[in-house]
Amino acid sequence: MNFKAWLKTITFYEILVGMKATMAHLLNYTPITVQYPHEKRALPDNYRGMLALLRYDDGTEKCVGCDLCEAACPSRVIRVVSAEVPGEPTKRYSKEYYMDMTRCLFCGMCVDACPVDALAMTREFEWAVYDKRQLHLNKQQLLALGDRAFPVREKRLELQHPNVAFFNVSFGHLPQKPT
Amino acid sequence: MTELSLRIAVSLAQIAAVMGVVMLTVMILTLAERKVLGWMQDRMGPMEVGPYGILQPIADGLKLFFKEDIVPAGANKFMFTLAPILAMVPALIGFAVIPFGPSQKFELFGISVEPFVISDINIGILYILAFASIGAYGIILGGWASNSKYSLLGGLRSAAQVISYELNVGLAITGVLILAGSLSLMKITEAQAGGFWRWYVFALPAPQILAFVVYVISAVAETNRVPFDLPEAESELVAGFFTEYSGMRFAFFFIAEYANMVLVSCVAAAMFLGGWNAPYPGTLLGHLGLDQLAWAENIAWFTVKTYFFLFLFFWLRATLPRLRYDQLMKFGWKVMLPIALGNIVVTSIAAYLFPRG
Repeated sequence: MNFKAWLKTITFYEILVGMKATMAHLLNYTPITVQYPHEKRALPDNYRGMLALLRYDDGTEKCVGCDLCEAACPSRVIRVVSAEVPGEPTKRYSKEYYMDMTRCLFCGMCVDACPVDALAMTREFEWAVYDKRQLHLNKQQLLALGDRAFPVREKRLELQHPNVAFFNVSFGHLPQKPT
Repeated sequence: MTELSLRIAVSLAQIAAVMGVVMLTVMILTLAERKVLGWMQDRMGPMEVGPYGILQPIADGLKLFFKEDIVPAGANKFMFTLAPILAMVPALIGFAVIPFGPSQKFELFGISVEPFVISDINIGILYILAFASIGAYGIILGGWASNSKYSLLGGLRSAAQVISYELNVGLAITGVLILAGSLSLMKITEAQAGGFWRWYVFALPAPQILAFVVYVISAVAETNRVPFDLPEAESELVAGFFTEYSGMRFAFFFIAEYANMVLVSCVAAAMFLGGWNAPYPGTLLGHLGLDQLAWAENIAWFTVKTYFFLFLFFWLRATLPRLRYDQLMKFGWKVMLPIALGNIVVTSIAAYLFPRG
């Protein structure tokens, strides 16, 4: 051990440097804490929160019961029971739609998989509950979530763009988009 | 008969006052530690209970009071109950000989009273050391009686650590005892009157600066504080010797730890930093002609010195990681002990060559 190192040891040089650092933090006290329930931090734009089912602007459900979300889900959160729309053999809808949010990992793959954009992720995250069964959501709850989080709804798919209406053979009985 | 009962009443009042102040300090410390640690780590500390969290100690106390009192299966119930008491009583009893203020006497109902020390016995510091050693039994017994491997390991570590470092505390203060020629804390403090250059840290002919450093480090180790918190090492032993304790028994250990911190801080202030003496000759109030009120300034200085040490405890906790067990033992026996012994030799020679006038 050379003299300098020995001097540093007996004067507790390293410890004093560390204590200077902590004292510097005490003197310019700038806490990074966010007092969470009282103040909330801004969420990022692409925040992936609670899942929700959406409606068109006339109040009909977007979901066509295709089961692609169920297939895309890596943790088997979603269960869809698909059925024909009564009286319209070319159309299907989800008769029942369940989500077990205890298993959801919020990857957003169901949202990517949906061909009609019927699923969306809200910015809600405060879903702590006392009973796990309250996280087992049915279709009504998911639709209510969508109504709550997305007050501005899309038009029906066939009304969004003339090309969609032109090639759409399934919805012949619906009015064409006025040009 | 009346004089005796009056003396008993005065003594009880003194004890109640000192206990009240110590308990209040412990309450303040539990909050202050969390706040200071938070501030040093860019956090806020407790903020919920009361404005800026200042009522947190009361909330903690109520919580501990109403918590379920669990005795683990297979625990020795008698020892399990005895251990927290054995830890707390010695920590509080040491305050009996601490001089908080000057030794001036006040006339009260015809008897003269020394209000700022409960009992100025002539073996004061020895008494404190003796009771500090008994406090270690509380920790060891608590660890053993819990019937838990973590508690037992914590208790055993504590035994080894407290024995090693108590030796250093005893040897570190020996230099001061040689210079003062007394074991009474009152006499030691009075011998340091007249400015900070008369304090035993700086006093000629033998400045006790090395002994002071040894004492502070050993005091941190003796109170089981970071960086010497091996008996309760959270990351290794869950909570060490009080893993199995809950409710009021845990609160007793908690109070004991903080009361021990206050006690070693008081002893450090009294032995090395002049106790209640101001760092200038006399007192400001005394120079202004208010000799009757000078005791207030003296008590303020004692408080400042004690709180400086308590802040140092928090500061070290915010800065340093825990030592490894072998490092702890090596540091205690191979570094601290030789320094303390060397200090005694040097001080003895100096005291022989330049005897007190």
